[in-house]
Amino acid sequence: MIKKIVIKICLLILITIGLNIIYNLTFYKKDLAEKCEQILEINNNQATTDIFYFAESSNFNSREDDSIKNSISEITNFFYPKLKFTAINKPASHAGIFKKWLTQINLKEHKPKAIIVTLNLRSFDAAWIHSKLETPLQESMVLAQPYPNLINRFLLSLQAFDNKTEKQREKEMLNEWENTQLIFPFPFKYKTVKEWDNSMANGSYVNADGSWDNDKIELACHYVKSYAFNIKESNPRIKDYDEILNWCNINEVPLYLNLLAENIEYADSLVGKELVFLIKENRDILVKRYSKNNCVVVDNLELVRGKEFTDQTWTTEHYSYKGRMVIAKNLAIAIKNKFNSDYKNLY
Amino acid sequence: MLFNSIHFLFFLPTVVGLYYLLPQKLRWILIFVSSCYFYMAFIPKYIFILFFIIIIDYLSAIAIEKNEGKLKLTYLIASLSANILLLCFFKYFNFLNDNLAPLFSFFGKDFHPINLQIILPIGLSFHTFQSMSYTIEVYRGKQKAEKHIGYFANYVLFFPQMVAGPIERYDRLGEELKKEQNLIYQNISDGLKLVLFGLFVKMTIADNIAPFVNQIYNDPLKHSSEEVLLGVFMFSFQIYADFFGYSTIALGSAKILGIKIMDNFKTPYFSKSVTEFWSRWHISLSSWFKDYLYIPLGGNRVAIPRWSLNILIVFMLSGLWHGANWTFVVWGALHGLVLLIERYFSKIFMFEIKKEWSLLNVFLTLKTFIVTSFIWIFFRAENFNKAKEIISVIFINNNIKFNLISLKIPLIAIIGLIIFDFFQYNSRFDKILNTFKTPYRWAIYSFLLFCLFALSGTENFSFIYFQF
Repeated sequence: MIKKIVIKICLLILITIGLNIIYNLTFYKKDLAEKCEQILEINNNQATTDIFYFAESSNFNSREDDSIKNSISEITNFFYPKLKFTAINKPASHAGIFKKWLTQINLKEHKPKAIIVTLNLRSFDAAWIHSKLETPLQESMVLAQPYPNLINRFLLSLQAFDNKTEKQREKEMLNEWENTQLIFPFPFKYKTVKEWDNSMANGSYVNADGSWDNDKIELACHYVKSYAFNIKESNPRIKDYDEILNWCNINEVPLYLNLLAENIEYADSLVGKELVFLIKENRDILVKRYSKNNCVVVDNLELVRGKEFTDQTWTTEHYSYKGRMVIAKNLAIAIKNKFNSDYKNLY
Repeated sequence: MLFNSIHFLFFLPTVVGLYYLLPQKLRWILIFVSSCYFYMAFIPKYIFILFFIIIIDYLSAIAIEKNEGKLKLTYLIASLSANILLLCFFKYFNFLNDNLAPLFSFFGKDFHPINLQIILPIGLSFHTFQSMSYTIEVYRGKQKAEKHIGYFANYVLFFPQMVAGPIERYDRLGEELKKEQNLIYQNISDGLKLVLFGLFVKMTIADNIAPFVNQIYNDPLKHSSEEVLLGVFMFSFQIYADFFGYSTIALGSAKILGIKIMDNFKTPYFSKSVTEFWSRWHISLSSWFKDYLYIPLGGNRVAIPRWSLNILIVFMLSGLWHGANWTFVVWGALHGLVLLIERYFSKIFMFEIKKEWSLLNVFLTLKTFIVTSFIWIFFRAENFNKAKEIISVIFINNNIKFNLISLKIPLIAIIGLIIFDFFQYNSRFDKILNTFKTPYRWAIYSFLLFCLFALSGTENFSFIYFQF
């Protein structure tokens, strides 16, 4: 009986290999287009791409009144007309997703001259880590796993990924806000995000008639929840960026981490210097950690003025044309160290 | 734990491996532990409800067997009451509350319903009905009370069928669980065939139809008459593929362990009447209601008006068993009504034609499918308003163009299901497959595997019957 079973298992493996080939030739591209078009974009463009630009929505978002709608990557590309930039974007994505995109680059076919990855400070906070958008993001990456494509497709049907419910994620986020201690080198009255947030929520802004300015209070609370954290070694994004750096080091591809601008002005005016301290301290940690080997951290944190942020009532890294231009120019100058001969000073 | 999950794909081989490695006297412990683990993957604390049912019915059955007369009946009533009260609390408490409020206001009284945030334990209706059948059979003297609580617990908990049936009787499943099962190649082979086929039916057919049906039922007014009509027919196939798929995986998983459980479906959409439909659809529930409600009510040995009432009671309660909503009651009542009409006019409707696939039989089959599909509207619609909207859109042209996209895969899936059903008419997938020569058999495995791996739905819908 054992011999019979072994023969059948071998036959089954052979059949599965054959089916995998059939799947690659038939439905694979359609599934990619449906579930993860970014992989398809990488596959389609890698032969001609000099620099890949991996980003979330910060790259392509523009303000309604912008007369020029070009993305950060496109503007950067204007400074290097001889190079081809390919932007791979997906809203709400982060280093955990970027590292999976990286592995889709077929280095044997064509090695890119550099990789630019956005380094979004907010993506390190609990709200982003435990966001409800994480489940669809994880789902979209199942087809990018290092297994045969047919197996990945089956795993997608089985929902074999980090498939937590919205409720579970919210619970984890609240737990972090409640229990993670904030660390300051000076005395500060609030120990956790929850305490700080509660204090901001209880009449931090009062109108002239004595009523609460609820819009301002809500925005201040949101700033606290977005930026009040200390980046630690255990933060999952650290591990993800480490892996990105590692991949680039092993494959000898220069890496640029494009640290995005945050609305420091509003953080300061709405919440105060303690929050700005945390933002800058976190920036320093990241710059120090990743400015090594063949990696350059392009620091845009304080470059964009408050009014150049598209969303004035929320925290995002969406900028007006002027904001995008500032970041693109800073990035273009930063990558001159490798591409000086291709640089063209346009502005 | 869902059958269509990565966990189950690891869980089943682990249990099977350990099962055949362990000596017979220890196997009941493995089945017990693995069944608890399987159930606790949903909401762990609800396992205590099952333990409660097991203890009550285990002790009641022993007491029933030991006593005679009124005391025997008292123990039976106590056991049944405990099961029914548990079911009522978890399944019907909020429903009752919601209905008492308008009733009180009708009589000008105030009633303030207490709405408890109760989550229905998965498969509760199945466990309670299965367990109740055991105590009733012990009361009737047809079944000896089980003295080994482990075996009895496994009868209630047996993981392949614990959450959505089939609702087994103790004389079948209880005995199967006690038997020493040897590792037999044919059992493993047939079991795997059934698991593969069940997964294919659920994941490739039902899960590809589901998004289309959901789209229609979520907002019927946004769709054309043709789309809604198509949605209604597609739901018939979806619920069949979903429940039949589950039952087939259950059957296959048990078969791998050498344990036979009953077939719950026999190609129901090839029925020529609604009466026949109920002998082919969810067979274990139909026979439960027949044995423990219809016959005690007098069955067909009573006057016609009483018999008609019996039929309606049985079907309405069967509807209510499915869900705490009046739509389910109407769904049951309509089935009862059609069955009565068929019986009254049996000379017109119940043709005795020997040729299985005569033109007339095909016509009757289509007629039965259309009737059951329309009745399914009440099963699927969230409430009467939605059901009304569905029906009104079908009959009133709302001038919306047919604009549903990607119908290709759901329609191919349905055609595939009909073809498979045609081949397994009055038989079963594994039995039919065993008559094929090896190359054809492997060609079918390859086809099923490819469909399962490459074409199954990507939204992973839970089994519809898990909610009951």
